[in-house]
Amino acid sequence: MIFPWNKKKQSANVAKDRLRIAIMTDKKDEDFPFLADLKKDIIAVVKNYTEVRDIDIKKESDGEFEALSIDVHLG
Amino acid sequence: MGMIIAIISGKGGVGKTTATANIGLGIALNNRRCVVVDFDIGQRNLDMTLGLENRVVYDMIQVMDEEASLRQALIKSKISDNLYFLAASQTRDKTALDSLKIKQLIEDLSSEFEYILLDAPAGIESGYEHTIEFADTAIVVVNPEVSSIRDSDRAIGVLDSKSQKVKDGFDVDKYLIINRIVPEMVESGEMLSSDDILEILSIKLLGKVAEDKGVIDASNQGVPIILNPKSMAGAAYRRIADRLCGDNVPIEEPKVQKRGLVGRLKGMFS
Ligand SMILES: Nc1ncnc2c1ncn2[C@@H]1O[C@H](COP(=O)(O)OP(=O)(O)O)[C@@H](O)[C@H]1O
Ligand SMILES: [Mg+2]
Repeated sequence: MIFPWNKKKQSANVAKDRLRIAIMTDKKDEDFPFLADLKKDIIAVVKNYTEVRDIDIKKESDGEFEALSIDVHLG
Repeated sequence: MGMIIAIISGKGGVGKTTATANIGLGIALNNRRCVVVDFDIGQRNLDMTLGLENRVVYDMIQVMDEEASLRQALIKSKISDNLYFLAASQTRDKTALDSLKIKQLIEDLSSEFEYILLDAPAGIESGYEHTIEFADTAIVVVNPEVSSIRDSDRAIGVLDSKSQKVKDGFDVDKYLIINRIVPEMVESGEMLSSDDILEILSIKLLGKVAEDKGVIDASNQGVPIILNPKSMAGAAYRRIADRLCGDNVPIEEPKVQKRGLVGRLKGMFS
């Protein structure tokens, strides 16, 4: 059972675990520093043919393969 | 050639400006020539922390644009002849910064001073990038708190990819100051300990500074707390400055202050 008064005393440990994960995730994002530029380029190309509202680029991985999934929202 | 040290943090309000003022004065009190430069363009603060706000005539952007000479813009501290201050512009914004001009300014300063401290703005945008661009050392200031630590890691990431020294194939030396430690909370497991933080950030520790009400009092008066060696924070900054001057002073852990009976009674009910 998690009582708030038990939890309070260990919050430094909670902080440490959360930080480790957050910083690891931040670092992964930094591995793809070109994402913002890529998004801009794709928008420019698609705009030659049709209106674009926004573009979503997500990194996906199943542990073995990594992929970029690109969603183009038409305007 | 002087040592060029950027004081950085990522998150704002963690104590960069306070650290810059105190460390700068501490270095000067060690008889080394030191200049502190406010890189927080548009949000000039270091002048007030040093009690020099009434002396500012020219700022660093005017020096870089050759509207004033360096000699005209440098302000001597009232406390030490070895400490000089160069103000940030209050009317311009960070887009006024230009790499070539910054390089020239820093070269000029480094031929005259042994230590050049650059007080960085918050964030990791262009104003920050310009502050770290020509630094050879960085002092990272964090609070024992998740968002400060996370942001500092990102600021370190930018430092390690965008500074000229890294582009030239060298490492920027990095030192950590943990500021605003509340020892009671660390003891009871409610605040990250220094060891936790060092494990996460893995850079060298330069000092630990306790939460200290005297810091605000000092900034109210424009007299850096390092001048009060009886204060916890003042003593910590003194040791940090001594360390930067090459003295091998051990790092002290802020201790739980023993309180009198009234304090202890108050503590029971809080
Ligand atoms: N060790 C400390 N104890 C108590 N207050 C502090 C301490 N260090 C900094 N402060 C206060 O925190 C606030 C932000 O500090 P400042 O140096 O301006 O941060 P930054 O330059 O990183 O934005 C100021 O009000 C300052 O007085
Ligand atoms: Mg500041």
